[in-house]
Amino acid sequence: MSVLEVDKVSIRFGGVQALREVDLRVGEWEIVGIIGPNGAGKTTLFNCITGFYEPTSGAVRFRGRDITAMPVHRRTALGLGRTFQNVGLVKNTTVAANLATAQHLQTEYDAWTGFLGSPATFAEERRISERGALILDLMDLSDVADERVADLPYGVLKRVEIAAVLATDPDLLLLDEPGSGMGPEEAHALGDTLLRLRKEFGLTIVMIDHHVPLVTRVSDYVYCLNFGEVLAAGRPDDVRRHPEVVRAYLGEPEEPTGPAEPVTAEGVTTPLSTQEGAPA
Amino acid sequence: MSATEDTTTIPRVPGAPTDAPTDAETDAETTAVMAPVPAAAPEARWRPGRAGWLARGAVWLAVAWLVLALPANQLSPITIGPADVDIASRAVIFAIGGLSLHVLLGWCGQISLGHQAFVGLGAFTSAYLVTDLGMSFWFAIAVAAGFGAVQATLLGMVSLRLTGLYFALVTLAYGAFAENTLFGITSLTGGEGGKPAARPPGFESPENYYYLCLAFLALVIWLDWRLTRTKGGRAMAALRENPRVASAYGINVRAYTLMAFAVSGIFAGIAGSLTAHHDEIIVKSSFDFRLALTFVLMTVVGGLRSRVGVVIGSAFFAILEEGAFVAMVEGLIGGLGFTPTFFESVIGLPAEFVGLVVGPILLLLTLTLYPGGIGQQIAPITRWLGGRRFDRHAGAVREVEVDDVRA
Repeated sequence: MSVLEVDKVSIRFGGVQALREVDLRVGEWEIVGIIGPNGAGKTTLFNCITGFYEPTSGAVRFRGRDITAMPVHRRTALGLGRTFQNVGLVKNTTVAANLATAQHLQTEYDAWTGFLGSPATFAEERRISERGALILDLMDLSDVADERVADLPYGVLKRVEIAAVLATDPDLLLLDEPGSGMGPEEAHALGDTLLRLRKEFGLTIVMIDHHVPLVTRVSDYVYCLNFGEVLAAGRPDDVRRHPEVVRAYLGEPEEPTGPAEPVTAEGVTTPLSTQEGAPA
Repeated sequence: MSATEDTTTIPRVPGAPTDAPTDAETDAETTAVMAPVPAAAPEARWRPGRAGWLARGAVWLAVAWLVLALPANQLSPITIGPADVDIASRAVIFAIGGLSLHVLLGWCGQISLGHQAFVGLGAFTSAYLVTDLGMSFWFAIAVAAGFGAVQATLLGMVSLRLTGLYFALVTLAYGAFAENTLFGITSLTGGEGGKPAARPPGFESPENYYYLCLAFLALVIWLDWRLTRTKGGRAMAALRENPRVASAYGINVRAYTLMAFAVSGIFAGIAGSLTAHHDEIIVKSSFDFRLALTFVLMTVVGGLRSRVGVVIGSAFFAILEEGAFVAMVEGLIGGLGFTPTFFESVIGLPAEFVGLVVGPILLLLTLTLYPGGIGQQIAPITRWLGGRRFDRHAGAVREVEVDDVRA
């Protein structure tokens, strides 16, 4: 059974059709990459999956359960964890405090009990901070635990964000541009981290990124979105060479230079034969 | 392009003088992004020496004396009158009220311009239960806190629909509504004549009542501290800054916004009940919009996200409101040979309006110079008292920004 099924999801904002009948399947333990030019609707798709937007039509299913209209925090409880394009952290506090906040659902006492200062909450708070330290250690972030988030460089924050989302104990990790603000080496290290996390935590990962080398290296399957529609989907190398994908990125038809390859590579589905100029 | 402009551009070597700083800047930026995180050496925490501890202990003792002994005429070289002891009690009650509003304004990023209704409802509930139904004060204050929570939660439900300025207007309207209708129900509030509210047995004297208020302030500070150190407070901090991130962390934004209102209402109910029995007869005119305004002023001037700042700010505004501050200033300048009614006769400002002028001036100074309020200004001292090195610039980088203070 697929962990995540996105079934013909469309969303419209006024006159803009941001997503049109997007289908997406993510299997257990897969890493699925989503690529596409700016404005293609990648983040909008994430927002539909995590519940920030409700699609105009279509359905989102998590482990077979329809979650299309479920509020964000309940999806988090089910095991959907996400990061944000522009660093989703509480900035005016420390990294360690963010990890504690992210363990909201793992904190085993009622908020009112905590308010009344019940002795059990002190022990639980210690457990939470220890678990947070453990996760930071796993992401090699122990030395910034007491730094204020707002004082840290962007590349580090992207890693802190992954640590925070791990603290929510997800089954499915949705990463929105985890490699942005990173150099090639850091992006490579990030790829290793993602593969390791999948192995150690049994995670399923969906990631949006512009680092095509990163995406093709770690992904089992890649979707390319353009103008709110799935342009191509398949194995990373096939999608990368797909003529529609190349055209979407470069804005012009591919000029065959080397020996002509078969246009439709094996395993690639192309829902659209022509690309219409929709508003970006 | 004119000739003069040409002559100024010609001598410039392209790239050398003008572009150099830009390049350096971008370089610095890239390295900042790329640079590995500076490994913070696990330096041993600095500890003050014996003399340092003695000095800190002395200051702690002085503060304890100022709070615990002086207002209640204990271990004190001077004796203050019962009216002044009552002002001290009022300062403590205001501190509870300030912490109540601060739960919304400081922790959760919500606003209430109708806090006089929160406090007033607690006051009338308590007075009614004690005077008309003959209940004990302890039961009455608990019910007042509960009523406070209920009304605040109801108002909070509106905040889930409206935000910012519009919600502020709703709270303003709620305050006016409570003032003119709820508090006008004569059978419950005694109408214009007011409602008597006897002090609990054993706490009739101003000194003992002061200690009672202080005990409740200690309770509220403890609860407020536990709130910020646990799940609920962290959820509020997260949703204050970024509701989207908060919900992605699994926080139910609506539920925790309502929790903030409920907590604020509980504190306000306690403050209200204490106000009622402090005044011993309460009239609805004590709970007008001016009180709500004072609450906002004292919380912001005290300093958002600084518990000690809010307590000091609230106490100061209580003293200012009661006219004790004016009396003190006039007493001082009277001693210097000026007329003892300085504000009224020289400046032309009647003493009861001094607070209305001083408050907004302090607010302006806070917003422009010290967004962190009194809490920011005394940060070097509080840090020092906490056993750290004295640092004049502590609190210079404050998390409170003017944005937070805006509704």
